[in-house]
Amino acid sequence: MFGFIKKNKEEKNIIIKSPVVGRCFDISEIPDEVFSTKMLGNGIGFESTEGILYAPVDGEILMVFPTKHAMILKSKEGIEILLHIGIDTVEMKGEGFQVFVEKDQQVKAGDKLLAFDNDLIKAKAKSNLSALVVTDNEIVESLDFKLGTVDKNNNVIIVKIK
Amino acid sequence: MMEKKAIVNSETGIHARPALTVVKVASKFKSEVLIVKDGNVYNAKSIVAIMCMAAVKNDEITIRTNGIDEEEAAVAMVELIQEGLN
Repeated sequence: MFGFIKKNKEEKNIIIKSPVVGRCFDISEIPDEVFSTKMLGNGIGFESTEGILYAPVDGEILMVFPTKHAMILKSKEGIEILLHIGIDTVEMKGEGFQVFVEKDQQVKAGDKLLAFDNDLIKAKAKSNLSALVVTDNEIVESLDFKLGTVDKNNNVIIVKIK
Repeated sequence: MMEKKAIVNSETGIHARPALTVVKVASKFKSEVLIVKDGNVYNAKSIVAIMCMAAVKNDEITIRTNGIDEEEAAVAMVELIQEGLN
């Protein structure tokens, strides 16, 4: 009986994997208050060592910004995740970014989404620190974070669903 | 219901930061505030919807408001989209 209840509860979690090889850190460390004050929602900061963004969940691409520096995914459970590379990278107007996916495309966790030139971002934008935001959603109960040095197979956020 | 056209004037389009401003202004009003672009309708009080609209500079959009303060809402939204997002 208890085992059954526990199992049911566990199934209500959504696991978000690291979107990069590199490190994941507290979102409050991002030098942009849009992210650091969680105005768009809660999440994590991340920094890639190889300049590649991977899908953190199975889901669908809801949109890719025309300037290629950010995109939104919808997980199969229905939560929406914003992936935003660098700060003020919108000003680069796509230079240094290569997108591998398009709107409405289905992706699996670990699929390559975007390649970006870290050196160019560091030279041209305010910062290469990036954000993964779980946008506010009524089905989300809470987020648990596992931060630090990461590979793309590491779980970085456990989303508890109501 | 009220409809007003507006031209997006933000140099870099409606990305994360301007989308947040759009949602903040729209949410001040009791009326339903929608933005119509290329035949698709987006809820101006939803950050994800507004980012998904992916509006760029010079896009023509229509503000559609519906409710007790629809006129003020439409005027404020047009002013924001045309002049307030840079």
